[in-house]
Amino acid sequence: MDDKIVDFTALLRANGLRVSMAEHLDAFRAVAELGVGDRESFKDALRAAMVKRAVDGPVYDELFDLYFSGLGAAIQQGANALMEAMQISEAEFQSLMDRLAEILQQLDVDLSELAQALLQNDSGRLEQLLREAAEQAGVQGIERSYQEGRYSHSTAQSLGLGGLSEELERLKEQLGRADLPPELAQRLADFIDQRLRDLREMIRRTVRIELEKRDQTQRERNRLSSLAEKSFYYLSEDELRRMREAVTKLAQRLKNVVSIRRRRAKRGKFDVSDTLRKNLQYGGVPFRIQFDRRIRDKPQVLVLCDVSDSVRNVSRFMLQFVYSLQDLYARVRSFIFVSEIGETTQLFEEHDTQQAIELALTGTVINVFAHSDFGRAFRTFHRDYLGAVNNRTTVIILGDARNNYNLPHEWVLRDVQARAKQVIWLNPESRLTWGFGDSEMDRYLPFCDLVEECRNLNQLYRVIDRLVR
Amino acid sequence: MFASIEDVIHRFAEQRYICNRRIATVVYLATHLEKPILIEGPAGVGKTELAKVVAAALDLKLIRLQCYEGLDEAKALYEWEYAKQLLYTQILKDKISEVLGGATSLHEAVDRIAKQDDVFFSDRFIVPRPLLRSITSAQRTVLLIDEIDKSDSEFEAFLLEVLSDFTVSVPELGTMRANQIPVVVLTSNNAREMSDALKRRCLHLYIDFPGSEQELEIVRLKVPGITDTLAAQVVEAVQRVRKLDLKKSPSISETLDWARTLTLLNAERLDEQLVNDTLSAVLKYEGDIRKAQDELKAYLQTQRARGTAEQGDDKDLLH
Repeated sequence: MDDKIVDFTALLRANGLRVSMAEHLDAFRAVAELGVGDRESFKDALRAAMVKRAVDGPVYDELFDLYFSGLGAAIQQGANALMEAMQISEAEFQSLMDRLAEILQQLDVDLSELAQALLQNDSGRLEQLLREAAEQAGVQGIERSYQEGRYSHSTAQSLGLGGLSEELERLKEQLGRADLPPELAQRLADFIDQRLRDLREMIRRTVRIELEKRDQTQRERNRLSSLAEKSFYYLSEDELRRMREAVTKLAQRLKNVVSIRRRRAKRGKFDVSDTLRKNLQYGGVPFRIQFDRRIRDKPQVLVLCDVSDSVRNVSRFMLQFVYSLQDLYARVRSFIFVSEIGETTQLFEEHDTQQAIELALTGTVINVFAHSDFGRAFRTFHRDYLGAVNNRTTVIILGDARNNYNLPHEWVLRDVQARAKQVIWLNPESRLTWGFGDSEMDRYLPFCDLVEECRNLNQLYRVIDRLVR
Repeated sequence: MFASIEDVIHRFAEQRYICNRRIATVVYLATHLEKPILIEGPAGVGKTELAKVVAAALDLKLIRLQCYEGLDEAKALYEWEYAKQLLYTQILKDKISEVLGGATSLHEAVDRIAKQDDVFFSDRFIVPRPLLRSITSAQRTVLLIDEIDKSDSEFEAFLLEVLSDFTVSVPELGTMRANQIPVVVLTSNNAREMSDALKRRCLHLYIDFPGSEQELEIVRLKVPGITDTLAAQVVEAVQRVRKLDLKKSPSISETLDWARTLTLLNAERLDEQLVNDTLSAVLKYEGDIRKAQDELKAYLQTQRARGTAEQGDDKDLLH
């Protein structure tokens, strides 16, 4: 059993669970305490000792079942297949096997271990033989599904399938010569043939299980990281869904970073003069220690998000991010614009993410089917909301600056920059295309403190990281 | 000490706490391996309650340390009573001058005082806080460190010594070792991910919302006057609501609140009016309530359809 636990731990590690040496030893202690008699408590014990992240739970469940009952299930399936093919019930199956054993004893036939295990459906023995054969054939090295055939073949070889089928042929002959009712003889022959087919299937399954064990999560993770580099413009429906999850996770990670950074800054330095002053009442004995209170920097964020048709796909994520930001900081005001501008702060507070984004993108706040006019939107912002910008505000503008040859009104941005702590522009277009055609990026650029291309998740993450620093 | 996993379940049931086998297994292991349990899970599934029940079931004293942002060693471990020390020096002024009397040089005076300084840094002037109390206690205790995720990561690092060796270092006094290793329960709402070092030292337990059967059992146990129909309906309704995408899913305690509210109103079965009036016991956001109302309306309609069908059968029987 110890070997199995070691092996299983290695399997967990290969699938991205972090299991330390200490946890591994805990698992042994836990199993020693509980024994291996009860499958469920065995599973729970290993889980308590080695699985520490809730996200790893499902992976653990899957691997546990695969590892500790995968082969058993395969063997059971073999027996089921036989019962189905011969159309007999479990009791008949059992009696047929008993009958065969009886006859074999009468005929005084000596069978190999494998043949015996197979014909008596001894699952424990079969499992062990299959495992050993798979090990000899080096099935652990399997990596791709096209290798399945090859490994099945070599497993069959090390199991001695060739010898077995000869042995069973001989057995059938012997049975045929023996003095049996013809009907029974036929049945037994069928049974033996079927069992041989079952075994082939079992071997294939053994190899398949080994293949499935090889990192399921690894593949998953690879897909996610490649997703992070993919441009927002070219996402499929499924990727959109996965991207949403990724953005939410990103926001969560950010939340942790922010709270840690904020806490670190909480306590100020030892304040000598204030301490002396406060302690005059105690005769100058430093009784109450004073620290200077650092003023907490409460970041105020103001987001302007372009939701015109040209950036529709991107703005979905941007809005999702804005939504997460709003959860994160106490003071976030969000606006969306095409040629009109409208505030969405309230909307995001009252509805859940997807609903809020849907509402924002379908024209409840502003007309989203107009042609982009950054200049007009900015002018309206200047008129109505400039008061919201003060020296602690970070203004983030998300948009491609494609202005349909309208007046850009870049002076608004100049005014905003003069008042704000910083102005950040995130552009979902590639840097190379800025300033070409109707892109007014070059005109807006001088009035921004930071301009970033933001075409995929990784870039977004970098920007956000800079934002909270 | 628990004798077996079944014993855990049994004794918890005596304390009116219903738990599944997984929880019982972890509790059993933790008490036998003398390892802390780190419990994670959504709010209101009975994480804190579990610690209380362990204490009650084992008949041990519960010492609770509520974590919050800015919690430090002085609040968690021990603190010197500066005021008392100061007071004593004032009162003992004469005695001190006596000790110092006859000292010819400043050097000698300082030496003499130094010989006495362990008087002021002794057990007498230390205020033990939960961690120290639990470790130095003569009886075994249950130490509940609640909402560890609310504390700073520095505090978490500091906890490591306590959790792995059950020792506490006080620089002036030396290292104190636990006489009786306490049963330690840490709870976390996952506001932030705990460090691997902490997780490594603990057995991990994730408690999720219970399945309908278990929740029904809990409701029946904790709300004595409830009718069977109502209990089943309440649980089914809450389970349905949990499947929705809500800002805050209803927890067990909210299910219980709702069940109690409904029994107080002498309700025997749910209807739409009743749901609309009392849903605020379960859900705490306006948006959530609106969503749940739609869902529950549909649920009640199917229920009613089934109900009338059954009634129809009854009538047939009467004929």
